[in-house]
Formats: sequence, structure tokens, C-alpha cells
Amino acid sequence: MADEPHNLGPLHHSTAPVVAPGLTFASVTDKISSIVLKRKTPLWWFLGFALSFILFQLLLLTITKLVFEGIGLWGVNVPVAWGMDILNFVWWIGIGHAGTLISAILLLLRQKWRTSINRFAEAMTLFAVAQAGMYPIMHLGRPWLAYWLFPYPNTMGIWPQFRSPLMWDVFAVSTYATVSAMFWFVGLIPDFATLRDRARSKPFQLLYGLLAMGWRGSARHWHRYEMAYLLLAGLATPLVLSVHTIVSFDFAVGIIPGWHATIFPPYFVAGAIYAGFAMVLLLTIPLRKLYGLESFITMRHMHNMAKVMLATGLIVGYGYVMEAFFGWYSGNHYERFMIWNRMHGPYSGYYWALILCNIITPQFLWIKKLRSNLLVLWLLSLVVSIGMWLERFVIVVTSLHRDFLPSSWGMYQPSTWDWTMFIGTIGFFFTLLFLFIRFLPMISIFEMRTILPDAEVEE
Amino acid sequence: MMHVSYNAPTELKRLQQRALPLGAVLFAILVVGFFLDRGQFFRSYLFAFSFWAGISVGSLALLMLQHLTGGGWGFVIRRVLEAATRTLPLMLLLFLPIIAGAHWLYPWTHAEEIAKSPALVEKARLYLNLQFFVVRAAIYFAIWLALAFFLNRWSILQDRTADPSFSKRMRVLSGPGFVLFVFTVTFASIDWFMSLDPEWSSTIYGFIFVASWALSALAFVIAALALLTKYDPLKTVVAPLHFHDLGKLLLALVMLWSYFAFSQFLIIWSGNLPEEIRWYLPRIKGAWGAIALAVVVLHFAFPFLFLLSRSLKRNPHKLVLVAGLILVMRLLDLLWMITPNFTGEHFHISWMEIVAPLGMGGLWLAFFGWQLSKRPLVAINDPQFESVLEQGHSHEAHSVV
Repeated sequence: MADEPHNLGPLHHSTAPVVAPGLTFASVTDKISSIVLKRKTPLWWFLGFALSFILFQLLLLTITKLVFEGIGLWGVNVPVAWGMDILNFVWWIGIGHAGTLISAILLLLRQKWRTSINRFAEAMTLFAVAQAGMYPIMHLGRPWLAYWLFPYPNTMGIWPQFRSPLMWDVFAVSTYATVSAMFWFVGLIPDFATLRDRARSKPFQLLYGLLAMGWRGSARHWHRYEMAYLLLAGLATPLVLSVHTIVSFDFAVGIIPGWHATIFPPYFVAGAIYAGFAMVLLLTIPLRKLYGLESFITMRHMHNMAKVMLATGLIVGYGYVMEAFFGWYSGNHYERFMIWNRMHGPYSGYYWALILCNIITPQFLWIKKLRSNLLVLWLLSLVVSIGMWLERFVIVVTSLHRDFLPSSWGMYQPSTWDWTMFIGTIGFFFTLLFLFIRFLPMISIFEMRTILPDAEVEE
Repeated sequence: MMHVSYNAPTELKRLQQRALPLGAVLFAILVVGFFLDRGQFFRSYLFAFSFWAGISVGSLALLMLQHLTGGGWGFVIRRVLEAATRTLPLMLLLFLPIIAGAHWLYPWTHAEEIAKSPALVEKARLYLNLQFFVVRAAIYFAIWLALAFFLNRWSILQDRTADPSFSKRMRVLSGPGFVLFVFTVTFASIDWFMSLDPEWSSTIYGFIFVASWALSALAFVIAALALLTKYDPLKTVVAPLHFHDLGKLLLALVMLWSYFAFSQFLIIWSGNLPEEIRWYLPRIKGAWGAIALAVVVLHFAFPFLFLLSRSLKRNPHKLVLVAGLILVMRLLDLLWMITPNFTGEHFHISWMEIVAPLGMGGLWLAFFGWQLSKRPLVAINDPQFESVLEQGHSHEAHSVV
């Protein structure tokens, strides 16, 4: 596949160029590496980092209190025993999917436009998965025994239940985190070497030198590197589907009305990509402006990401239509009640807000003029991010709070500590992100060089 | 460019001359079945219809997909896809007997069946009744025919006028058109096939048909393209690169279909609810169970493994075999989905179930061949044409076929 440079792949219609004209090998390297090595760290970076770091402390505080007092600290209780923790787990892990899609699937599809956003999107994936992973581990109540989740020979006679998708989650998410981290790191090696060679202070030379793992850029290095990168892309591709499919199984294999729906796997995967692209747009639109990266992250990227968002949003919309239609069509009393309860019950406000955020507002993306307006696109991405959070709230809470027996119905109210944990993970996520943009090249330098007109070779 | 004729090869006439009488004779034999066993006749007819309608409607989906994404692979199959969508009026005609035979096919047409369950009474009143069934079918066909009409018309107008703005028009229509396609196929599959058992439902059923109809259309188009590239004019246009891309798309659709079908099975198996597993129980026992296993192996595992090979995808002679296998398995899968609604776990296949798809297929192929021969096999004035030709040739020069 790698030996076939050709440019008539999908999404070729956009006439806007992938990179702005006039860039050369040297200017690309200078521009990207200077953010890390030369430019003065801007004031907004310090402000943003400080704010994120403060919010991050909320997370540490919550976790400390949680470990001491137990998960009664959260608002979860029977009947809604899975509240904000699973909801935020699914929300965060969904966000990660865009990174993997951009870096792995678009690489296999030979989409050159991915090059300037893949590094950043992969970082976002890793940081989002880190937030997601915390929730189920903290929900264990005794997180120091998390290794019990793995099947290992022991004298206690415990063994995981392999029929449970929660068990599959352990493998799916840990594989996902591992492969994403490897993919990201391998992609960084040639750029680490560039930074090593350009860094002027000894500690940075040493740091980047260690990370570059002795990269010299010889032909043999490149040959092996390309092969390894392509193999990792192949490994990461099924993970885009498998992780969220298994997350959807967490719900769908149970028989709770509102959870037990066969449409869940594709609908969850599409929702994950939808939320992920919204987050990528939410972050890249301000970043490209602040660092003046318009010549790398062009309008073409914005258009393509908006289109992916529209397409996956439509699949999610299809999921809602199917849930509502089959709620009625199934003829099942409980299924019908579940849909009625979502639309008219105590949480109906969440349901209609979700329809507004996820289905109605994104239809503006059909219009090219609005897609080209970055402020509109940014606001739409924000709306979608909120909508996808609401979607998980509706699925988790409305299905559980009123199931088969009216005598066991109840309401769910997230506690203050639910919110501090959630806000804390947002703080942690941005803390990592701010460190990333300051200390690592947020755009892949060497891959950018390969898509410049200078890099074209006459065969 | 030199003056080259891109008209369909004369060999296409031979296909028509063979398919038409064969189809007509088999169809006539099938009509004899109508007088022998009416119930069996309509079941077999619906089964045949589910396959050939899938190729017509699935081609419409692929046609819109290639307008949306662009690319050489879509350009070289466009005229084949367009001809396949022009069989939709024939499919509308062939749908009429299903309305006439609804009484033999759908339990919800029987008042005494409906009266058994209160939930069914309401469902039959609001949705599953013959009047609304006909109205809905009319809507589906109206949408498909309208989409096919405009995409075909603008394409031929571009041939005549060389106006590049038609490309944009086709692309703009294809976006909302694809959304309409997904919804109409979903509801058509609920109406025509899922409601054979009116008490059973599954939310992914529509997606399974969306994927499987697109898959059968793609397998058919690959087979047609492999045959057409033996002759001029496509001989000089289609390159191994195009088959490679089509093969990748075939692999993607095989995986997508398997993903949907397996998700449905796993979720229903895990839930183990009586009203849901009732659909699977007869289908995984005895001979039906053997067919289910054959579907897993020959509809997923084998095509998946074969299509991983790069050299196979680039070789039309081999790729056409995989496409053929997929088409046969599509038939078997549809048989497995439709027939146990009537037979239960008792395995029974009538001669009509073999004659019906062949007879209808003969008529379909003759109609398709006739439509295909009416236009040049390449959209000569499409702005992409030159670059597709160039691309194919530059790759052919150093590729091992």
C-alpha cells in the first residue's frame, strides 16, 4: 500500500489545498519545531495551563476522598447504580476514537490531509483514554485490587466471567491504550531526532536524544520505520470499531429496555467518532489561530472534519429514529414505556436537549457557507460535545431509573463529588494537552515534509 | 485524445439474447408453480425479489457513494451502476405480485392471527395493514426511481454537453439521496421481510439490509466489470488499480455485513428473551443450522481471507470468483432469513426456490444488458476522465498482473 502514492481517494473534491503554497522543507521544520524550542512561551499558555492544573487538583481531591470513604460519595445507588462514572467513561473513550480514526484508518486510505492533524488527534486519544480508564477503576471501590480483573492463576479461586462484556472491556481498553501509545510514540521518533539536533540546551538535547532512541535517519531506519508504522496502523484500525462495540455491549447484552437494542454497536461507534471529531475541531480551531498554523491546518481539514462529523451525526440520528420506532413496533409493553418515559418522563428535558444538540443543530453542516465559518463550526462542535454527553446520560439514567417494577423505581441525582470528578478529568485532560503542545511537536514534522510539492518524485 | 468509440461491445448483445429466452422460459415454469402451490409460489417469488431488488437498489447506493467520494474505482463502474439502477422500473413491475400475494405471505393480513395478541392489533391498525403497506412501498419506489432518474439523466446530459456543472449537481443530490436510501431500505426491509414474523423485531435489521444489498450490488458490478474489461472499450480504461480499490471496498462491505449480522446474533443470544430468540431458534437447528454455518464460513471467513491478498484483488479473473461466491452466499443467506418464517425448523426447499431467482435473474440481466448497451461505457465528458486514464496507465506500467 505504501508504494502507491495516488490522489484520487475519497474526499478529493475539496479544492482547497492540503498545505498552503510556498512552504519548503526548511520552513516546515523551523515553524513547527520553533514552537517547542525557540518561541517564547505565550502568556495564554501559562494561564490555560494554570487553570487546567487547578481543576486537575479537584480530581486528585475527589479520588483521595473516594478511596477513603468509598463510592457512596457519588450519587449512584439502586436503581441507578451506574451513573456519572460509566457515562463519563463512555464520553471520554468516545472522544478518543477520532484520533485513532484519523491516524490509522485515514493512513490506510491514503488520505494525505490527515498528516497535519494526526499527531495532535493521537495525543488527544491518549489523554482521553487516560481519563476514561480512571472511572471503572475508581468504581471498583478498592482500586488497588484492579489486577483481579485479569485472569491470572491465584489461590483465592477467583476467575473473571468471560461471558461478561465488562470483562471484554478490560482487554479492549487496555489494548487500545497500549496500541495508541505505541503508535503515537513510534510516530514521534523521527521528530524527536529533529528536536534533539536542534535543541540548544543540554537537558533538552539529552531528553529528546533519549526519546529518539538513536535515530539517525538512515535509509534502513526509514525502511523499517515505515513498515512498523503501517503494521501499527493495521493493528489500530480494528480497535476503532472493537472498543466502542464492546462498550455498547456493556449495555446491550443486558435485558434492560433502552439498553437491549441490536443497533447499539454501530450506533455507539458512530457516536464515538462524532464526539471525537467535535473535540478535535473544538481544540484545533483555537490552536491553529493562536500558533498561526493556518498554512498547515487548512480549510480543507476543517471541511473534511465537518463532513465526517455530519455523516456520523446522521448515523447517530438514525439510531434515535430506530430506537423510537422499534420501541413502539416491538409491541413490548416495557419497551414502549421506556420510549414514552424518555420523551415525557422526569428526564424528558435531557432527551429533547439531546435531540436538539445531536440531530437538529448539526444539520447546519450541510451548508458550505456555515462549514467555512470557523466560529460557527466551533460552536457546533461544542453543541455536539454536550449532546453526546447528554446522549449517554439519557441511555444510562433513563433506562435504569424506571425498569420493570414500579416499586423499584427511583431518581438519580449526581452528587457534588460526581461533578468535581468530571471537572477534574477535564482539568487533567487539558493539563496533559498543554504540556504536549509546549514540549512536543504537535504536527508531525517529517510527515508534513513528505506532502510538500518539493517531495514529489518523478518516476 | 484520438477519436475512440466508448460504446458497449457487441458481445453484450449475446448476453441479452441468451438471458432473455432463458429467463422467460424459467419464469413461465414458475408461473406453473402458481397453480400448483400458491403459498410456495409467493414465498419463492419474494425470495427471488429480495435478491434482485437488492442489486438494483444497492447499485443506486453505490452510484451515490461514488459521486460523493470520487475516485477512479467509482468512475470505471459508473455506467454499469447506472444501467443497474435503470432496472428499477422492472423491479416495480415485479413487486406488484407481492402485493397480490400478501395474503399468502404476511400473517398480519389475517384478522384471526392479529386477534391473538393485543399488541398486534394496534400494530396492524397503525402500521401493518395492506393499504399503508402499499402506500409505503409506493413511497420507497418513488424515491428510488426519482434518484435514479436524475442521476442517469444528468450523467447522459454531461456526455452530450460536456458541462462540468452536472458533476456538482449529481454530487449535491447524492448526499441527501444517500440518507433517503438508508431510511427507505430500512423501512422496506421491515415491511417486506421482517414483518413475515410480525411479532419479532430487531433494531439493526435495516442496517443488515443496507449493507447486504450494497454488498450484492458491488459483487455483481465487479463480476460485470471483469467480463466487460475483456473487450473494448473498457479494456484500455480499467487497470488493476481499479480492481484493487473495488476489492478493498468489497472486503469492507463483507466485514460491515458480518459486523451487523454478528452484533444482532450476539445481543439476542446474550439477552436470551423468548420473544427475540424465536427468530434464531429454527434457523440454527438441523439443515438450517448447517446453512447458518455455511454462511459464516463462506460469506465471511473465506471472502475475508481471500480479499486480504493484494495480488488477488488486482487480478480480475480471481476477484470475479470471490464476487461470485459472495453472490451465491447472498442468495443462501436470504433463503435462510426468509424461508424458516414459513417452514419453521423443518427444512424444506421447493424447486420453485431454485427456478424463481434464476427466472427473475434472466429477465433482470436481459433488461440490464439492454440498458447498458444504450450508452457509452464511460462517462466521456466527466472532468475526472483524463486523470483516471492516466492513473490507470501509469500504474499498469509497473505492476505485476
